[in-house]
Amino acid sequence: MKNNPSVMMLSWEYPPRVIGGISPHVYFLSKNLVKQGVKVYVVTCDFPDAPAHEVVDGVEVYRIDSYKNPAPDFATWVYLMNLNMQKETAALTKKIGDKIDVFHAHDWLVANAGIGLKHVFRKPLLVTMHSTEMGRRDGLHTTTEKMIHETEAWLTYEAWRVICCSEYMISHVKWAFGLPNDKLVMVPNGVNTQSYNNSHDDLSGFRSKYALPEEKIVLFVGRLVYEKGVHILINAVPKVLSKVNAKFIIVGSGYMKEQLLNIVRSMGLEHKVLFEGFVDEATLLKLQKCADVSVVPSLFEPFGIVALEAMAAKSPVVASDTGGLSEIIQHDVTGVKVYPNNPDSLAWGITKVLLDDNYRRQLRENAYKTVQEKYDWEKIAVQTKRLYESVLGEYSKSFWA
Amino acid sequence: MRIIIFSWEYPPRVVGKLSEDVKSLATELATNDVDVNIVTYDEASTGLTQESKWVKATRVANPVRTHIGVLTWVLTLNQEVERAAANIYYQAAKKIDLIDVYDWHFIPAAVTLKNGLDIPFVYSVESLEDHRSQALNTTYSMAIKSIEWLGFYEAQKISAESEWMRDEIIRIYKVPEEKIVVIPFDDPSSHAKQILSLFSGVAGGAKVK
Repeated sequence: MKNNPSVMMLSWEYPPRVIGGISPHVYFLSKNLVKQGVKVYVVTCDFPDAPAHEVVDGVEVYRIDSYKNPAPDFATWVYLMNLNMQKETAALTKKIGDKIDVFHAHDWLVANAGIGLKHVFRKPLLVTMHSTEMGRRDGLHTTTEKMIHETEAWLTYEAWRVICCSEYMISHVKWAFGLPNDKLVMVPNGVNTQSYNNSHDDLSGFRSKYALPEEKIVLFVGRLVYEKGVHILINAVPKVLSKVNAKFIIVGSGYMKEQLLNIVRSMGLEHKVLFEGFVDEATLLKLQKCADVSVVPSLFEPFGIVALEAMAAKSPVVASDTGGLSEIIQHDVTGVKVYPNNPDSLAWGITKVLLDDNYRRQLRENAYKTVQEKYDWEKIAVQTKRLYESVLGEYSKSFWA
Repeated sequence: MRIIIFSWEYPPRVVGKLSEDVKSLATELATNDVDVNIVTYDEASTGLTQESKWVKATRVANPVRTHIGVLTWVLTLNQEVERAAANIYYQAAKKIDLIDVYDWHFIPAAVTLKNGLDIPFVYSVESLEDHRSQALNTTYSMAIKSIEWLGFYEAQKISAESEWMRDEIIRIYKVPEEKIVVIPFDDPSSHAKQILSLFSGVAGGAKVK
């Protein structure tokens, strides 16, 4: 075998197409794998004005036509998109010769393509399970949800190894799909501290657009959906305001927006809670740096990248003690953990952080150090490369080799 | 000559007339010394399978049981068809002359195997979505048509059972006429001979035997 492995990554999103956390994950992982000497190909869905082929930081990126077949609904679209992704990736794999060592799929959205390619080329398939349908929906209620769940089960069954980004997800995935321990590997998600490093910018002008000088900034970043628990934060607002003067900035959009706006209106707190919707990357970075506290009140959270981002931006974090958040944050050391689904507990955490400057500084410094030590993309790439190598070692003894 | 036939029905699974037609053709081809492999859908409810001495059938089950429609059902079954076909391919030291695909269901698998492993395929048309759906053009129907289109585009040759069907394929999908061969299914033996000569052309003149 060659010294350095080649990997074909399959992901339904890759910048500039950004829908959720998979896009930045695949972007940073691929780029850092290249730095470790791994040859990386990414096959992803197309995006307006993005080229069909380009090299990004040494990564060969191919974008396929994802709307080639008309589709009656989202799930059917996913399977039809996979048809085209699989066909294009098969042609690409053949074109570059016998040079792909592993296929690496991200979530059920590319299950069919990944599984098919594994068998056609007889190479090992790895999968990163970023989330599960069971977790996203808090159970399986519809035929579509059951179908997606079974597709996830099929993907984890076919995979040589299943990667999860937190111990919480490992145990969740193990239970949800009945997987053996030795098939599961924990490799954390990373955060890019460099994007927060231009700390010399004067943000006071920027800050004044959002809050009065005497107001502390409480920041929420996330989709406005049930699982993110933003309604818990809204319920905590008056409790916090009774102790501290603050401005609550809500970044993100989702189906709960109107309902949340109505609650804020009924409390007469429209001047204290700002709904910013989607903001661009640069604005988000600045907001995270200005925030006196970042709140992550999720009810379900496979990993909790938004907490890591806040930590990298040196904003103290208050998060619910659930899922991946429980592992990222060490209570009283790198952040504050509160009871999930409990506005009183959340308000307590926020107030505690906002009222104590020293405590805030301490959390910030500890958190930043942890991010650099544990969630550095370079280290994650090294771990991932080692995983590829160990899988290829096992593979070399199989009759497929 | 070694071939794989993809058909979503094959005895004991009988949905329409395709099942018996494919069986009769496969048997005829086998008696003409073609190594015939069938990949089809395994439906437990059809009961015991009487295997032929000449034709090897691989029956695959759907890895995903719950589905919202025929489309998603077909699309997840295709990976199992690929798996079965790839197994035959690697077992046969990568020597498969062609794949013969009946109708649209397993076109996705055939297209991937062609693009990834260089195995050409013949698209054998039994019926078209335009006729089945009475040209309703719902999104659902359009999706199936887009798979049929992909099959016509990627196939090396297309076989139709009648001149009417050939003309319909040309009318609906604008396929060049020279790509379509009309082979009526009347006498099984002469039908098989014509199919064989079509296959031989697609497989680059591969000899029978």
